[in-house]
Amino acid sequence: MPKSAIPGTPTIIYIHRHLYNRMQLVINGLVIGSIIAITAIGLSMIYKTLNFVNFAHGDFVAFAAYIALFANTSGMCLASAFLVAILATIVLGVFMEKVVWLPMRRKNASRTTLIIISIGFALVLRNILVFIWGGSTRNYDIPVRRGFEFFGATITSNQVLVILAAFLLVFALHCLLSRTKIGKSMRALSDNIDLARISGIDVDRVILWTWVIGLGLAAAGGVLYGLVTAIRPDMGWYLLLPMFAAVILGGIGNPYGTIAGGIIIGLSQELSTAFIPTEYKFAVSFVMMTLVLLLKPEGIFGGAK
Amino acid sequence: MIEYVDTLLPYITTILLISSIYAIFSLGLNLEWGFTGLIDFGHVAFLAIGAYTTVMFNMSGFPLFLSVIAGIVLSGFFGLLLGIPTLRLREDYLAIVMIGFSEVLRFILLNEQWLTRGPFGIHGFDRPLQDVIPYQHYNTFLLILYLAILVIIYLSLERLVRSPWGRVLKSIREDEAVPSALGKNVFWYRLQSLMIGSAIAGLAGAMLAFYIMYIEPNTFKPIETFHAWIIIILGGTASNKGTIVGALVFCTFLSVTQFTNRFLPFTAHQMGAFRMIVIGLLLMLLMMYKPEGIFGKKEELALSD
Repeated sequence: MPKSAIPGTPTIIYIHRHLYNRMQLVINGLVIGSIIAITAIGLSMIYKTLNFVNFAHGDFVAFAAYIALFANTSGMCLASAFLVAILATIVLGVFMEKVVWLPMRRKNASRTTLIIISIGFALVLRNILVFIWGGSTRNYDIPVRRGFEFFGATITSNQVLVILAAFLLVFALHCLLSRTKIGKSMRALSDNIDLARISGIDVDRVILWTWVIGLGLAAAGGVLYGLVTAIRPDMGWYLLLPMFAAVILGGIGNPYGTIAGGIIIGLSQELSTAFIPTEYKFAVSFVMMTLVLLLKPEGIFGGAK
Repeated sequence: MIEYVDTLLPYITTILLISSIYAIFSLGLNLEWGFTGLIDFGHVAFLAIGAYTTVMFNMSGFPLFLSVIAGIVLSGFFGLLLGIPTLRLREDYLAIVMIGFSEVLRFILLNEQWLTRGPFGIHGFDRPLQDVIPYQHYNTFLLILYLAILVIIYLSLERLVRSPWGRVLKSIREDEAVPSALGKNVFWYRLQSLMIGSAIAGLAGAMLAFYIMYIEPNTFKPIETFHAWIIIILGGTASNKGTIVGALVFCTFLSVTQFTNRFLPFTAHQMGAFRMIVIGLLLMLLMMYKPEGIFGKKEELALSD
């Protein structure tokens, strides 16, 4: 237990503060976990369907936050800025699919080639953000509201918004995957692309939709992330490792596993700060990911290899 | 004319020194990626381990030669440690774990000030034969030493990759099913390649420290890894000669752009971002249109899975 700051502080207050801190960490963990969850779904789907890790995924997240920031600071309300950012990110993703990924698939490029191209694009995208907006931190132009008391911890209205929005997005995704034709084709594709092709599914069209939905969710996550953290060009880059950890934990290509993985990673990152310095939050997802790779590489929630 | 020679000679010495360090650093990566097909996105971590180990051993009283050996051994050891959870699995896991490790390591170097002096960096360590060589000739001496090391590393690597061991590595890169059908332990060969590649990067780290006389965690940002990637892809994957040429071309390019920068209307941070955009685009375009590199042989590269 940490030492009490003021000598002679009554133990009862001390315990109360202790509980308060843990509750606060749980809330923060759930918030960041929902962001990791919804951003990681796209990474997981694209990983499984296209069979490569998109290292630029995190930078799409940051891109969306900056587009929302730009729209918001030039006078739009946050809700419209949110939509604009999602739209812009999807446009960029579709452009990349048409100009890079589709031609490379036609050429039968190897997985390693695709991975290296994606990290090249990650560098390009992140540094375009640095080039235009600089490296300093920014925030949306929105009024600051009072937070709510919750079991002795404070939960801000932005945090409530993030959790609600994430919940709605996950629900919408669930309906899409289970009820619509395109959703079912996407699942078929990530199960077995060749089988999907011979059963008459237009593979390139479904892949395009996978990008649209995956990056749309990533963009939504990016805008929401900007609500609870400072907006910086490398915010997506440092989200990449937690996202990978969530994907691997949940089993690649398993959207529900990824959501659970995201929440677990978010909670462990925040709760770890009770024991180790805050600077090492990033290392927590690294250690968890490595442990899963060592012990159960197919992920704890299954999913295909 | 005389004054030109006066400034031109040190300038060329500098470029050659930096090129030789980058060449050795990239030769390590070329063994991993070019000859074995391992995607090491965290190669800079071993540069950092080599540099920090050498310097810290030396500062605590070990002779320089032993300190360098310690740096090389420890780099190789960490290569082994990271290879164990990842090299049995798909190639993209190594990429993720490596890039994560290189960033976690940088955070550790920044935060554990009792060990590494954190962001203040370390200087005041010994350099090879510094008491014998007069200061004004020291860089010339260093250049001769580094070129000699480069030749030794190059010749040893050439022998290695032409040996039966090297042929197994190449066959793993092309199709791991073939060597495993012949009873070769693919995992163990990959591990050896990663260890040797990392150890070579460790040596480059020690050389870097001696040249710049000051190391700090931000010398070892992920971008250095991608410099090495550009160098080996420029020079032609799986060509040690090409890697050396690539290093020379790349370092000359970097150095010359420092002069042309004055003609671009960019601020300092924009210039940095611009350079990284160029690196990223170069990586993308080379992989898309000329994956065998400028000086590489097409038959050395399997373009499809």
